Amino acid sequence: MSSERGGLAESVYEVFARKTRGEPLRHIGYIDAPGDELARVYAWKTYDEENWFEMCVVPRGAVIPVNRADGPWAANRPGGKEGGR
Amino acid sequence: MSQRAEDELKQKIRKGYILESPEEMTPGYRKAIIVQLTVQADTELMSAPAYWLAARHAPSTNTQVSAHAIIQDELAHANIAYRLLEDMGVSKEHLVYGREPNEFKHPYGFDQPLDNWAELVVANGFFDRAGICLLGDVHRNTSYGPLKRALIKVDMEETFHLRHGEVWMRRLARAGGAATELLQRCVDWMFPMTIEWFGLPDDLKRHSGQLDYKLKGLTNDELRQLWMSSTVPLCESLGLSVPAHYDAAAEEYVLDYPFPCEYDPEEKRWLFEDGEISWSAVFERWKGRGPMNERYVESVRRSRGAVSSWLN
Ligand SMILES: [Fe+2]
Ligand SMILES: [Fe+2]
Repeated sequence: MSSERGGLAESVYEVFARKTRGEPLRHIGYIDAPGDELARVYAWKTYDEENWFEMCVVPRGAVIPVNRADGPWAANRPGGKEGGR
Repeated sequence: MSQRAEDELKQKIRKGYILESPEEMTPGYRKAIIVQLTVQADTELMSAPAYWLAARHAPSTNTQVSAHAIIQDELAHANIAYRLLEDMGVSKEHLVYGREPNEFKHPYGFDQPLDNWAELVVANGFFDRAGICLLGDVHRNTSYGPLKRALIKVDMEETFHLRHGEVWMRRLARAGGAATELLQRCVDWMFPMTIEWFGLPDDLKRHSGQLDYKLKGLTNDELRQLWMSSTVPLCESLGLSVPAHYDAAAEEYVLDYPFPCEYDPEEKRWLFEDGEISWSAVFERWKGRGPMNERYVESVRRSRGAVSSWLN
């Protein structure tokens, strides 16, 4: 899940955000970052198309799929390809 | 995988099926979307240094800030497209840092220098509009879910870039005198540059699979018409002359110059007087890349390692 890039080990973070109070948190994209702190910065700067009321990032390895065995989170299924993070 | 698997996937897609992960792709689909996304990512990436060098000519601090906001958007767009490629097993690291400058797949227009503020705003008015035509079509039609979602942000921001271009073109057109003359000179080389960007006419185009897999909805000629249908009226309303007009009988825009034709990048001038050339001559020119290719690529690579040296 992590890759070497310019001397930095980066991993994938999923980005979630909502525009206003009362709106559901929506998956808006994902970014690579070498750690949680830079993930926050990269997400905020990359997905700046809205004046978000709330944004958060989640390490890809922390998303556990419930019903599907394919897609970006498949590896995190208990007993899945690589197991959890 | 077999031709049968390809045909089955095309059949499903025709009925509206949306792919959600690279695992669902057939080799043919995967190959076609990698080509499409590489062109998209490289185009976004190379627009950044082109606009960045031009932003030095901004007439004020405020206007420079809005130009820089556009550049930041373009870098984010590039990052998002490269990230989608990485999911398909293509290395972002290699695409950005591992290729020769002439191996990038962006259009020839982004190998050209933008030498003044007028050229930057006409690039926003013409090139970003071409981006909206192309990516808006992908957004409406693509069978790949993650790309469809990613394009919501991109379309929204490209519309802002286009508006920036239009507002400034209007301003320069109203100013009259030298400003208007400069604007006309930009239109003279950038209009045919964008027309060429849309590529081979439909009657010459080899079948690419991009339409069968619904990676896009419109053909090259349809996209070229779409671009002209908003660009030509805009220019006419600003009193700018463009080498194209609407043919009411044929219900389409018609070019008033030999297409395709040769371009002199030093003079920034299309050699209309030399007449039509072959598309293989155009591809030869594209492959040779334009005057700013190496400088632009070097410019986006320069900061490599800076982040890791701060952290280590
Ligand atoms: Fe863009
Ligand atoms: Fe743009």
